[in-house]
Amino acid sequence: MKTILTIWKKELKDNIRDRRTLMAMILMPLVLMPALLIGMDKLVNYQRERSKERTARVAVDKDASASALIDFLKSQKKIEVIGVEGGPEKGIRDGKADIGIIVPADFQDRIKSGAPARITLVQDSTKMESQESLAKVNLAVSAFSGRIIEGRLNSSGVDNRLLTPITMATKDISTAEERGGFGLGFFLPFFVIIWAIVGGQYIAIDVSAGEKERKTLEALLLTPAKRLEIVLGKFFAVSTTAVVSVVVSLTSLYVALKVFGLGPMTGALESGQAQGKALAAAGADAAFSIEPLAILVMLGVGLLLVLMFSAILLSIAIFAKSFKEAQNYIGPAYLVAIMPAVVMNAMFGFKPTDWFYAIPIVNAMLLFKEALMGSYVVSHILITAVTLIVFAIIAILVAGRIYSQEKVLFR
Amino acid sequence: MPMLVAEGLTKKFNDVLAVDRVGFEADAGEIFGLLGPNGAGKTTTIRLIATVLSPTEGTAWVCGFDIVEESQEVRRNIGVLTTDIGAYDRLTGRENLRYFGELYGIYGDRLEKRVKEIGELLEILDFIDRPAGGYSTGMKQKLAIARSVIHDPSVIIFDEPTSGLDVLASQTVLGFMKKAKEMGKLVVLSTHQMSDAERLCDRAAIIHKGKILTVDTIANLKEATGSAHLEDAFLELVGAEPVKVMR
Ligand SMILES: Nc1ncnc2c1ncn2[C@@H]1O[C@H](COP(=O)(O)OP(=O)(O)O)[C@@H](O)[C@H]1O
Ligand SMILES: [Mg+2]
Repeated sequence: MKTILTIWKKELKDNIRDRRTLMAMILMPLVLMPALLIGMDKLVNYQRERSKERTARVAVDKDASASALIDFLKSQKKIEVIGVEGGPEKGIRDGKADIGIIVPADFQDRIKSGAPARITLVQDSTKMESQESLAKVNLAVSAFSGRIIEGRLNSSGVDNRLLTPITMATKDISTAEERGGFGLGFFLPFFVIIWAIVGGQYIAIDVSAGEKERKTLEALLLTPAKRLEIVLGKFFAVSTTAVVSVVVSLTSLYVALKVFGLGPMTGALESGQAQGKALAAAGADAAFSIEPLAILVMLGVGLLLVLMFSAILLSIAIFAKSFKEAQNYIGPAYLVAIMPAVVMNAMFGFKPTDWFYAIPIVNAMLLFKEALMGSYVVSHILITAVTLIVFAIIAILVAGRIYSQEKVLFR
Repeated sequence: MPMLVAEGLTKKFNDVLAVDRVGFEADAGEIFGLLGPNGAGKTTTIRLIATVLSPTEGTAWVCGFDIVEESQEVRRNIGVLTTDIGAYDRLTGRENLRYFGELYGIYGDRLEKRVKEIGELLEILDFIDRPAGGYSTGMKQKLAIARSVIHDPSVIIFDEPTSGLDVLASQTVLGFMKKAKEMGKLVVLSTHQMSDAERLCDRAAIIHKGKILTVDTIANLKEATGSAHLEDAFLELVGAEPVKVMR
């Protein structure tokens, strides 16, 4: 017991004097979390404003007869009509316009006679501006179309309202908390998982592979300390560092949220969907807060994740001969850890069964989302806790076994 | 029972027979040499005795404790200066020593007293509070020695203690071995440098290709092979043709 404490204290002291560990443990989570939050917020705002403000450049054939439609487009605020020599396609290719419109010569006559008229919109779908401009022109053409209908109906004495038999209004019954949890639930679990690994990574390598590289391992093995005690001392040092890093990241995120609010972030992550826009609008003015209980659950789950990751990192790093080799092993481990999280997030509106709470990492993701939305299911929490602890213990025992392998220690 | 007894000690790495039925006895108050060329099996023999490797066959006793059955007790009674003299570079010499002291079960005032005592003996107090990362090879070697005897063991084993050291630093190491012998310890010197062995050892085992060729006093080894120097005796024993030079 005393031996474990001795090793824990020494490894912490030793590593706190290492710039890399300090960076990974405190500085990165402290700075990166708010920076990311604010940065994403700004970026989303900027993108949205920009696409709204942009003027769509529409190419028409220079020789095409001016029609009422072109005049109407010209009168629109965010549309600029450009006459191009050689036709709209050339205009787009030359980068003079974002999209083009081909209006046939008989367009005006057909409209007048009440026959259907056909126009062609030309776009280059590989260009980002193309979609935005297309949407703007589409809207304008629809409006123009509506005017013609209105005129025709009026002249035949029909009430306009006949055309719109149904009008729609939407009402969102989710609370600000749920909306906030929804958006936050999207990226917060990633961060906790990442910090649980990043925070402990350097020290895990330093205390194992690093000890081989610096040639101090044999002296340690010569002492009466039992192998399991050595592993436990090192394991607790790794966990401590990773826990600090998770706590720092969550705290700085919490403070950043308090200070800057969630902003349109919620919507940004769902952008493109009408629902997302509604959320964004609501999220922007909603005073978002995280319940203390949610923080408690998240810290608890974070701690368990850290224990598991630390043990796994340690057993991987013990295997390696050098710092570099250990980093090569741990790199792919990130992918394995993040993969389930990515898949989970991709499955929109996914309803997990209890079994999903027995899958490490996935279960933590799910619990995070639940906590952020203010939902606490005891069975989910219990299954998650037991699973993560069992995995942590297995990983520690494996690390202990590896530390007793002559082949791994003396290569 | 003598302080160190090896009996049929054998270690196989896959197909390599690194140590082959090694047996010898050595006791308190002597410097015992384990002499052999590189790859002879000296380091492996030491690792077996120090219980960081387990023997394929055979066993040894340190202060009466069996290396297989009572490894904890063996480690408490043995101090090994390994060939690797690395230290924790971000810790000071004192912090390095304290760490190992605690791992050997020494705490508090007793530990501080011991650090001071061993620090004086090895003349490391001048730089003991500086980070070990800045030490020269000689300083590191002294720190490594201090670390290996921090628990005041009865059996002290030095594995190639002067390799990579200059004459002055070597002198300190050899001097410490003499002091340890005078304090009644059993000192084992594993080396391929016959000159060191000749000056210090009372008796020696010649080990070659994992096998002990002979165990005897230095004088007897020389006499038996009719050699004026231990080095020639050694070459004779391992079956190489000694180079005759004019001295
Ligand atoms: N961990 C190991 N794995 C495989 N072979 C080893 C290992 N350690 C030593 N050997 C082999 O055992 C033999 C003896 O090595 P060693 O004990 O280091 O000799 P010495 O210390 O006398 O130079 C050598 O052939 C060496 O290659
Ligand atoms: Mg050797």
